[in-house]
Parts: sequence; C-alpha cells; structure tokens
Amino acid sequence: MTQDQPVVKVKDLVQRIGKKEILKGISFEVVPGEFYGIFGYGGSGKTSLLHIIGGIEKFTRGTVEVLGFNVRKTERFKRHQGIVTQQPSLFRDLRAGENIDFIGALKGADMKGAADLVERLGLKEHLKEPTAALDAGLYKRLSLACALLGPPKLLLLDEPFLGIDPESQKLMLKEIRDFVDSGGTCIACFSSMEVCGAVSSCGWLEDGTLTPMDPSALREKWEEEIRNLYEKRDGENA
Amino acid sequence: MLRKIFAVAAREFQLIWRDAALRRILFFVSILSLLLFFAVYNAQVLRGIPTAVLDLDGTPQSREMQQSIENCEDLKVVLYPTNYKELCGIIEKGEAVVGIVIPENFGRDVTEGKGSKILSVIDGSNLIYANNAVSAVLTVARTHSAELGVKTLISKGVHYSRAQYALMGVVFRDEPWFNPTLNYAFFVVLAMALNVWQQCCTITASYNIIGEMGSRSWLQIKALGISKFLFFFSKSLAHIAGFMLAVIPLYITAFGIYKVPLECSPAKLLLFTLVFAVSVHSLGTLISALCSDSVNAVRIGMVIALPSFILSGYTWPLEAMPVFVQKAAKFFPQTWFFQGFSLLVFKNPGWEVLQPYIFVLMGMSCIFYLLSSAAAAVRS
Repeated sequence: MTQDQPVVKVKDLVQRIGKKEILKGISFEVVPGEFYGIFGYGGSGKTSLLHIIGGIEKFTRGTVEVLGFNVRKTERFKRHQGIVTQQPSLFRDLRAGENIDFIGALKGADMKGAADLVERLGLKEHLKEPTAALDAGLYKRLSLACALLGPPKLLLLDEPFLGIDPESQKLMLKEIRDFVDSGGTCIACFSSMEVCGAVSSCGWLEDGTLTPMDPSALREKWEEEIRNLYEKRDGENA
Repeated sequence: MLRKIFAVAAREFQLIWRDAALRRILFFVSILSLLLFFAVYNAQVLRGIPTAVLDLDGTPQSREMQQSIENCEDLKVVLYPTNYKELCGIIEKGEAVVGIVIPENFGRDVTEGKGSKILSVIDGSNLIYANNAVSAVLTVARTHSAELGVKTLISKGVHYSRAQYALMGVVFRDEPWFNPTLNYAFFVVLAMALNVWQQCCTITASYNIIGEMGSRSWLQIKALGISKFLFFFSKSLAHIAGFMLAVIPLYITAFGIYKVPLECSPAKLLLFTLVFAVSVHSLGTLISALCSDSVNAVRIGMVIALPSFILSGYTWPLEAMPVFVQKAAKFFPQTWFFQGFSLLVFKNPGWEVLQPYIFVLMGMSCIFYLLSSAAAAVRS
C-alpha cells in the first residue's frame, strides 16, 4: 500500500437487517493521516458502518477495502487496526492491566510503548482494578489504550466520548490527535457536535446515506436542526 | 502464535481460578466427594448384619444351629424374639435386617434324619444389605446342613471320612479375582468420585463457546482477527489441563493414601484419563456451541452428565439394560471411560483389549469438536 492509497475505501455499501435497509449504497474514502468523523443521530447506522469497516459485522452488498485488503476475503487488515466499541467490550474477567497485556498479546503487539501509553492516559494507578469496576471515563481510556497497542494504522472509535468526564475526554482527544499527527488514520462515530472541530473531514449519516460535509458546515447543519427542533416543540406547546 | 496460545490459555485458567464457584466445583468438589465416600464406605466389606433369631424349638439341636448363626462373622445376632409377630415387628422397625426362624420339632426332625426347613426373613428394602444377608445365611445353612448330615451318617455306622465325602463330594471353592476381598470401597468409591469429577468437567466445558460468543468481549476477539480455531484451541488446552489437575489429587488420595489396588501403571491410567478428559471436554464444547445461552448450556450439561455414570454400566451391568439403553449409552464418552477404567484398575489387560476404548473416545472427540466448530461457525 502506497502513501496515496486510501486506508479505507467503501463503495456502494448496502446493509440490510431483516427488511430494513440501514445503509443504502454508501461510498467514501479515508486517506492516511485523516481523522474522519461520521456524525448522525442515534440509530442512524453509525455503529453498523464502523463494525463493517472493522470486519466485525458482515454486510449485504458493496465493497469495503481496509489497508488495501478486501474485508470480505481476509482478516489480515485486523492486525493493523484498533477499536473502541460503544458498548463495553473489554474482558470483564480481567483486571485493567491484564486487559492491556491480553489484547497486546492477541494483537502480537510490541509492548515497549505500552507503559508510556498507560501513563499518558492516566491509567497507571488503576491497572490492578477489575475492569468491570472502572467508571465510564476510565473504561473508555482503557479501551483506547488497548486499541492503540501496536500501534495500529487504523483506529476505529464508536462514540468514544459518550457519557464520560471532561478530564477523560481531554486525555483521549490529545492521544487521538497525537496518533493522527504521527500518520495514523482514525474513523470515529459521534452523535453530538462537541468534538466536531477536532476532525479533519466528516460526513452526516441519515436515512442510510452518508453526506460528506465540511466540519464547519456540519456544525451549522446541526445547530439548524436543533433550532428547528425547538421551534417545532414551541409550536406544539403554543 | 505461541504467545497468543499462552495468553488465551493463561486467561482461561485465571478465569476458572478467579470464579470462586467454578474453582470450588472443579478442584474441590471431586476430592471432597472422594473423602466423603471413603468415610461412608469405611467398613469396606459389610459385616455384622443385625440379625434376630426366633427359636421355636428350644432343643440342644436348635441351640447348636443358633450357635452357628452367632459364629458367622457376617451376621450379628442382636435380638431373640419369642414369637413370629415380635420378629415381624423387629424387621419392620429396622432393628434387624435378617430374621431367622428355627421351627418347632427342628431337633426331632434333624435327629430322625427327616430334614428341616429354617425360614430366613430378609429386609429387601436395602439391596446391598439384603444381598449380603442372603449370602451369609446361605453360608451358615450350607455349613450347618453338612455338619448335621455327617453326624447323622456317623450315627448310622458310616465311617467319618466316607460320611464327609458323601456330603461334600462336590465342593465349590470361591476364588474372587481382581478384588479378592470383594471390597466394596475399592469397587465403587473412586468411580463415584470420578463421576463427580466428570460432571464438573462437563459443566465447565459447557461454558466454552457460548461463554465467549455470548459476551460483549466477543467483539474484541472479532476485531482482533485472531483465528477462532486458535482461540478455542488455546481455551480448551487450559480446560483440559485444569481437568487433569483436578483428577490427579483424586488418584493420589485413592491409590496412595487409601491403598485402592491399581493393576496398571499410574502413567497408563493418566493417559487413559487424559483421552477421556479430551472427549468429555469435546462433549461440553458441543453443548456450549448448540445452546442459546450459558445457563441453558449448564443445564443441558448436567442433564447429560448426571445419569451417564448409571448408564455407563459400571455398577449395573450394561448387558442387563434394555437394548435401546445399551445403544444410547454407547454414545456417551462416560460409558467407554468407566468400562475402560474398571479394566485398567482391576485387570490391566493388554493394549489390544484397551485399544477400542481409546479409539472410540478419540473418535468421539473428533466428531464432537467438528460439530462444535460447525455450530460455532453458524452462530458466528
């Protein structure tokens, strides 16, 4: 794979679950060093799209290539990716530090940088705590640490900042920026605009269609949507 | 790859060890059962069966008969009722298991050489007691009849040696092999503890696939791209190692401390046990692949593991079961293990005798693992 080739290439992606078409022929590309944000309301299909890119979910039609590999045909791209899922998916039976060691071992990751990563994400004091006992912010930080082991070439984040404290958000955002600045590629899903300014490019996912947008245009669209929502509610109350 | 195998196996072992309930089930329940069973079967051979003797004759001959009963080490005369009704009450209340009635005119009939019938009433509600009681009463009756017969012939002028030959012309000499003292503890205690062990193993293995695929962390496994085969193979290694670690103390206690006889070499027995551990793990894995959740998997595991010992033919012979039960029993690894275990421990037959047991267990393992893989692939 050359530097110019897209890290992720999605073409005419259709995902149907039962009779419902969740994704209706989505196409987009993400190039190396890009922080791509997929924005949309809850239930718009962001998680499905991210899981398809990560090779977790099968899809109905279309082509998805990650790092030059067709995800239908191989899993070889997975060794170069890290994922933070929306639902807690770390190993509950292991302690925080053991999750890092375990996932690192399964990735075949070089663990030399792991201690620094743990330090930067403020996890050092929590390594012996049971994973299930961590609060939402610490849990997401730990998830990000596990995802960044390797380090990966592609980082997939599903609602990384949902329901977490500002300190955790700040630490995570810095880590993600550093990762992207060092040449990594990140695709993240959001259902709020808090971090819209942090992404380098983005798209709005609604009714199974992804509309590419400039982050500032997306913010305007979002604010307009909110305004419309309030006006509609006020109209109903009047 | 070795790093991955080690990581998954270590995590699995940690998971079993940290789950207090699972740890106790797998590592402590079997050994506790063994200790408990040895305590229960401490006597090893049933002796001193409570016996009541009703002597309705009261002659020297009947007292001699009574003496023979008292001298039998398997029977212990605890009561001497004075009538049949009282004897019935004693048996009903469980104060005696055996009631022996020496009839009126016993002495006269014996002296006249007419023969006499002694009634022995046996409480059949406990079969172990009843079988031992029947055997003991028969021994007393046979010995005493022979002695009386010899005396009668001598009184009629027959020489002692001829009288003895006439009555004891055919002598059955008992010679129990493989368990010469017919020790019940040797026969049943370790097998029962192994039954508990195999149940624990089946239940533990029932978590194998559904425990992972039914949890959210399965997303991580899928995202990491680790081969499913490698992942479950590594998990299974930890399970089987755990099963073997749980069975070794059982063998050490039974053969080392309680001195249960072992005809084959310990290595041979361990190897055979390992083959079974793999096959019982494959059965549990299949259950875990087919069930919708962990709770159901454990339930099904228990339903299969609990009756398998009875069906194995270890206690009640397989040949005495209905044909369809015999056929069904052969689909369970437990049947082949307990049959093979009995052969190894008591007889140590050659490789050609044991070979079918090993091959069937290995074949079952292959089939169950293949079916598990197919079911897991469908689920995935």
